[in-house]
Amino acid sequence: MLKVLVKKQLIEIFRSYFYNAKKNKAYSKGATAAYVVLFVMLMVGVLGGIFTGMALMICKPMAEAEVEWFYFALMGLTAILLGAFGSVFNTFSSLYLSKDNDLLLSLPIQVSVIMISRLMSVYLMGLMYSGAVTLPAVIVYWVTVEFSVKAVAGGILYLVLISIFVMTLSCALGWIVAKISLRLKHKSFITVIISLAFFGGYYFISFQAQRLISELLANAAVYGMQVKSFAYPVYLLGMSGTGDLGALFVVMAAVLVFFAVMWLMMSKSFLKIATSTGKTEHKVYREKTVKCKSIPTALLGREVLHFTSSPNYMLNCGLGIILLPVAGIAFLVKGKGLCMILNQVFWDRPGSVMLILCAALCALASMNDMSAPSVSLEGKNLWLIQSLPITPWQVLRAKLLLHAGLTGIPMLFCVICMAVTGICPWEQLLLSFVLGLGFLLLMALSGLFLGLKMPNLNWTSELAPIKQSACVAVNLFGGFLYTLLFAAGYLMTDLWKMGFAGYTGIFTGITFLLCLVLYRWLKKKGSQILAEL
Amino acid sequence: MLKISHVTKSYGEKKAVDDLSLHIQPGEIYGFIGHNGAGKTTTLKSVVGILQFDQGEIYIDGKSIKEDPLGCKRETAYIPDNPDLYEYMTGIQYLNFIADIFGVDADERLKDIRKYADRFELTQDLAQPIGAYSHGMKQKLAIIAAWLHHPRLIIMDEPFVGLDPKAAHLLKEMMHEVCAGGSAIFFSTHVLEVAEKLCDKVAIIKGGQLIRSGTMDEVKGDDSLEDVFLELEEEKC
Repeated sequence: MLKVLVKKQLIEIFRSYFYNAKKNKAYSKGATAAYVVLFVMLMVGVLGGIFTGMALMICKPMAEAEVEWFYFALMGLTAILLGAFGSVFNTFSSLYLSKDNDLLLSLPIQVSVIMISRLMSVYLMGLMYSGAVTLPAVIVYWVTVEFSVKAVAGGILYLVLISIFVMTLSCALGWIVAKISLRLKHKSFITVIISLAFFGGYYFISFQAQRLISELLANAAVYGMQVKSFAYPVYLLGMSGTGDLGALFVVMAAVLVFFAVMWLMMSKSFLKIATSTGKTEHKVYREKTVKCKSIPTALLGREVLHFTSSPNYMLNCGLGIILLPVAGIAFLVKGKGLCMILNQVFWDRPGSVMLILCAALCALASMNDMSAPSVSLEGKNLWLIQSLPITPWQVLRAKLLLHAGLTGIPMLFCVICMAVTGICPWEQLLLSFVLGLGFLLLMALSGLFLGLKMPNLNWTSELAPIKQSACVAVNLFGGFLYTLLFAAGYLMTDLWKMGFAGYTGIFTGITFLLCLVLYRWLKKKGSQILAEL
Repeated sequence: MLKISHVTKSYGEKKAVDDLSLHIQPGEIYGFIGHNGAGKTTTLKSVVGILQFDQGEIYIDGKSIKEDPLGCKRETAYIPDNPDLYEYMTGIQYLNFIADIFGVDADERLKDIRKYADRFELTQDLAQPIGAYSHGMKQKLAIIAAWLHHPRLIIMDEPFVGLDPKAAHLLKEMMHEVCAGGSAIFFSTHVLEVAEKLCDKVAIIKGGQLIRSGTMDEVKGDDSLEDVFLELEEEKC
């Protein structure tokens, strides 16, 4: 039975890689392989690349200072932070809010078996993120410091133990969220606010990372001794990565004990939480005057309601709404200093500073990804838009407008902040804004294109289309790569000789051309696909 | 009002609907019966434009669903077998959304919402999210939404499933009322007693093919609809 449920869970997560919902048949082996390779490249290339860089920076100096354990401890803690980061609410949804809970609970299946199958998706998610840190960490250690049976065995066990600990931590936090959630009234917004506090903390640490790492490297031995004295478990975690048998044994035992406690805690309350409807305030309907809306406004309103009712949707696909204004305010405060530093670094390439700011604007805009999962999120309600007297294009246009509005307005705020400082020449700022608008439009259009090409309408948890779908991953990382390409072309080749205006102008032209191609495709072919889904 | 002409729809090799033709006149309540997988839902979904059919034509009030889908959909209301509605909306938000799509005047919609929600005893719950509704409440909401824009043709797939006896009785009353006003209703059901008492005409489908249709008297004669249906099922086997 467990095998069947785990298979069902895995099929749900990886369905879009193997199955073409539009044609109602499996993808060819080649297409499946291409999707998998693309996803792995994005995960390994982008996320793995960042942490490989970090590992390369600190591994050797720490080994030379004879505190290899400190290197593993740091990478381990980063992996735990990344693995558990943001997954708290996802864990809650995956474990307790799946739409097939009632069905499975009514079948002759032990509750523990259902729990294990749910844990599988939590584990895979945690492994994916923690592995993006621990895998580069152990490989860099093997390549630059020691490659022996002891180091290899220690590295592998270290990786596995951290992934289990991440799952345990995620589940424990998910359990706490579930307990609190049952007592909350305005869950969506409270969830978003708490999550944003997590994000804030994460970004604060990320911004301080470079300074902290330099400080640590300069005084590795001193800090190492302090950690060993005051946080012995962290020392043991680090030692386990080096292959120290004693440390491995203790860490393994601790992880297993934590897991057992978490399992006990969850199994006692799973049934109650999974079947509880929580506290809902019974609002009594009071008749009010109604303002009639046009079809486009009604459809846009529907998209807004959907977006604002789902914390998962808001958090995973709308981070740019917060980050763009925050970046604008940060620029008001620190903009002058930042531009001075950038000017010193890129003094030989005029226009580089403005180009980096423009790339940053696009990178922040790419954090908004609401159009990509929007088609799949129609799910079982698809019959409504197909049976109502509206064209598929009207539906798609409302999805585009949601994306454009929720990204364009914060972007405008950010650009106004930049303009207020007076640092940026107005004509360059205007050009940056035009490129930013083109880029956000491209993200919205490509998100819909991918959403229509890789739809997943048969999900049991909305996390599947929002977080675990190929179209979202490809669009998000594709946006990052597009921004990177824009910046790298100017900063790393001779294209800077074209000047900021020339280079950005050409890039803007290409961006709008791509938008036009996608727009025409969506209007004709995309509309047809939506009608026939 | 509804003319289904030689419609065929296949899923791969299997013909779900095979050369089906039906004609439903204004003011008629037309029942559609058949065993599970006979092709009822496929036919109903083809009529409302959710499914594309392979051959044939469907006309609603003289308009082709293929050539003028929006024109046809404006005249039609559809209630599926499972009322999957927008759970992120409240009941009143959903009704207003549907009314906006059909361009229902503000005063008229308020009046109709009040009238139908009161009849179904749903008024107190209209401010609640649909996610908190029971199956029956969702079904009632789907019915109110369907009636809200005064459609000329109402298509319903197993509309009585999930409704309590009082609501089922009310729905039957509403069906008679709307047909008395000149609209037509085409609905599928497994409850043969209901079909027998409620319908002016009935069609029996098996394996995608129409095996009998006509007025209730023409189809059942002196027998009960259940006897005729079971007999026809056996004959064809």
